[in-house]
Amino acid sequence: MSPAVEQHLTQLWESPHTLWGELTTVDHQKLGKRYLATAFAFLIMGGLEALVMRLQLAGPNRSVVDPETYDQLFTMHGMTMIFWYAQPILSGFSIYLIPLMSGARDLAFPRLNAFTYWTYLFSGLYLYGSTLLFQSPHGGWFAYVPFTDKPYSPGHGMDFYALSLIFLTISATGGAINLIVSIFRLRAPGMTISRMPLFFYSTLTVSISSVLSMPALAAACVFLELDRQWGFHFYDVTHGGIVLLWQQLFWFFGHPWVYIIFLPATGMISMIIPVFTRRPIVGYPYVAVSTVMTGLVGFGVWLHHMFAVGMSTMSMSFFSAASMTISVFSAVQVFAWLATVWKGRPVTTAAFHFAMGFLAVFIIGGLDGIVTAIIPLDWQLHDTYFVVAHLHYVLVGTNMLPVFAGFYYWLPKMTGRMLNETMGKISFWLILVGLNVTFFPMHIVALMGMPRRQWTYADGLGWGSVNLLETVGAFILAFGILLSIINFVVSLRNGERAGRNPWGADTLEWSTSSPPPAYGTVHIPTVVSRNPLWDAHDEEDDPHGERVLDQGRLTLASTPLDANPRYLSRMPEDSIVPLIMAVAMTGIFTALTFKYVWIALAFALACALANGIWLWPRHREPKPGESRQ
Amino acid sequence: MAKAQGAKTRGEPAVSTIHADIPAYVGPPPNADGWKTTVHELDDHRGTYGMMLFILSEGFLFIMLFVAYFYLAQGGWRWLNVKPPRLHYVIPMSVILFSSSGVAYWGEQEVKKLRYGMGRLALALTILMGMGFLALSAFDYKEHLQSVTPQTDAYGSIFYTITTFHVAHLCLGLLMLLYVLVLPKLEPRQWTPYRPYHNAAIYWHFVDFVWLFIVGFLYIAPNIR
Repeated sequence: MSPAVEQHLTQLWESPHTLWGELTTVDHQKLGKRYLATAFAFLIMGGLEALVMRLQLAGPNRSVVDPETYDQLFTMHGMTMIFWYAQPILSGFSIYLIPLMSGARDLAFPRLNAFTYWTYLFSGLYLYGSTLLFQSPHGGWFAYVPFTDKPYSPGHGMDFYALSLIFLTISATGGAINLIVSIFRLRAPGMTISRMPLFFYSTLTVSISSVLSMPALAAACVFLELDRQWGFHFYDVTHGGIVLLWQQLFWFFGHPWVYIIFLPATGMISMIIPVFTRRPIVGYPYVAVSTVMTGLVGFGVWLHHMFAVGMSTMSMSFFSAASMTISVFSAVQVFAWLATVWKGRPVTTAAFHFAMGFLAVFIIGGLDGIVTAIIPLDWQLHDTYFVVAHLHYVLVGTNMLPVFAGFYYWLPKMTGRMLNETMGKISFWLILVGLNVTFFPMHIVALMGMPRRQWTYADGLGWGSVNLLETVGAFILAFGILLSIINFVVSLRNGERAGRNPWGADTLEWSTSSPPPAYGTVHIPTVVSRNPLWDAHDEEDDPHGERVLDQGRLTLASTPLDANPRYLSRMPEDSIVPLIMAVAMTGIFTALTFKYVWIALAFALACALANGIWLWPRHREPKPGESRQ
Repeated sequence: MAKAQGAKTRGEPAVSTIHADIPAYVGPPPNADGWKTTVHELDDHRGTYGMMLFILSEGFLFIMLFVAYFYLAQGGWRWLNVKPPRLHYVIPMSVILFSSSGVAYWGEQEVKKLRYGMGRLALALTILMGMGFLALSAFDYKEHLQSVTPQTDAYGSIFYTITTFHVAHLCLGLLMLLYVLVLPKLEPRQWTPYRPYHNAAIYWHFVDFVWLFIVGFLYIAPNIR
């Protein structure tokens, strides 16, 4: 295509390179990268908190931090990692990649995208604001009542917990809605539901799970906040409240959330393994269906977090069985990946190393998940380090390793520069060794009787050396991550130029230059198979430039199942309003923390006004031949 | 001009969104997938999709609240010996709210037929009815608060939380309707004009639908045990 067309598209889609441009941008690539960078910053924060905890536990009777600080550290570590790192980083990949993979120019609601990014960032800053007041939450990431109720947790720590999570649910629900509509509406012509990249299946599944499960967290946190600040009695047994209500609501949200932070990562693995084994994935429909089924059954397993509360055998058996069912769906995926590697010709890049590391660690984590799903064992292991070991194996294994695989695979697309492969592989081995040395001994120390969330322990229990080993492992892990960070930073300036498709990959994001222009691809691509770039097809020919769609800020909308091109979607322009609304929303939550109701209402009014301006129609059709601005 | 035309053609979308000056996407020649080869309709469904998903999420919020209501009731700590809430405000409130949904629906149909005046009238009427509902619910609260407050016990907490959440959502719905009322008359060639109305109206129907369960679970059921 002629440079004039590219210039015109750039003019239509690119945000100005000024501070104003950065604050008002609705570009999914910029916002996706911001999500990734912000979530990575939270990973580092959470990691540093973990290192302090490991120093505290390195030997018996140490007092690196005092008990209250330790409680705040493990709570902030859990919240940061689970809510502000694990899901947002996957959102970052989805937001960046899904429009490029589906040949769309942006997500379905670009301004909503900007808004969810800002609310995500501000909710995290709001949470860390509690640290500045030395009143961080201290009730663990699942904050069981009655401990977290006012009489036992005075101060504002748990208010920050409840309100920051309500704040985050707004961001996460908005982001999920955006991704669902984008996946259903904006796929390239011919990318039918049976030809979507598997990453779309996992993103779609978890987005729907988010929409359905987030309200439970919001309700639980609203109840907690009303109990704490306004004298309500939801969890107060002296006035007819029920403590277990919190656990039911929290885990009804919590277990789908586990899949929300796990499934997109498996989707990424399903994208990466075929590329580096030079063949399409084995059993595409089975992987797709088991992804969806994991999300579905994920709604029926929450009671397995509560086997120790005393329930009827019937309900425990049901939830135990449902939990084990998940392993069937996981096994389908694992065997599909293994078969792909087996039948293919692996190219052992750093990204492939991380993908394989994921498989190994995921299997260990999954197996001890089955162990904890067995009720009698769970009673024994409940609240011990076994659970810590299991959840870290699963989260580090199924979230962090695929995220690193994703970085090694997609960063060349995002930055246009290749990463250093050798450094990547060294980093991989350090991370793999580090995480096993850290988390495997936790199983052992748990069987020796060490409970979780303990500030310190007495000498002579035989836990000291194992804990020291874990601390050493944690530092190896941290060093591995640091090496990758150095690799990322160095590559920005010194990396080899990536070119369009350095890996010879099959999906549409590799059909454009690296880094991609703001509009994605010049032509709206067409798809006739599951591997559009591997299968050349006549439909892609466009001698007259009729599929460029450069007549305005437009993108193509297609039917949800058949991806039959049907509509032209007009995309909104850059706007400062999402940022203003996010700031006003931060105001609401900050005011509510200190019970300033009228100030909160004023901010709510500001939000409503901003939303009115946001949605006010001011589209003007450019006259033929006239360019915008 | 378009108005007169649209009024005559019933059944099909009143305003044709196919306009000569809207650019077209010309797809590849038809193949086995049966692609449409030229596309020049503007998409106005995205907002409805978004609204539907928002409603889904909100619906789950209310499901959670009802779950909490029944979960807290399992001990029967107060539910059995409490004086059930009286219905003399709630019945007229329900009548007003459900008929307001009907009015909103009628208005939407009018706007579809490009009778904007009637549409606006219906919208204003819906808003007034919603405000009437709010006024009555203030009286209902005033009366109810004499016997039980949110701070009395868990029953009061969940009762007032559910009803206040509903009122808050109702206010949000009212704001949406009000917003549609003050929207400039959208040019037919840009959007199908009833689409913002439609999006606000489905939210309004949702709020009314939730009220059905509130009346059933919180008001009527305790009276008929």
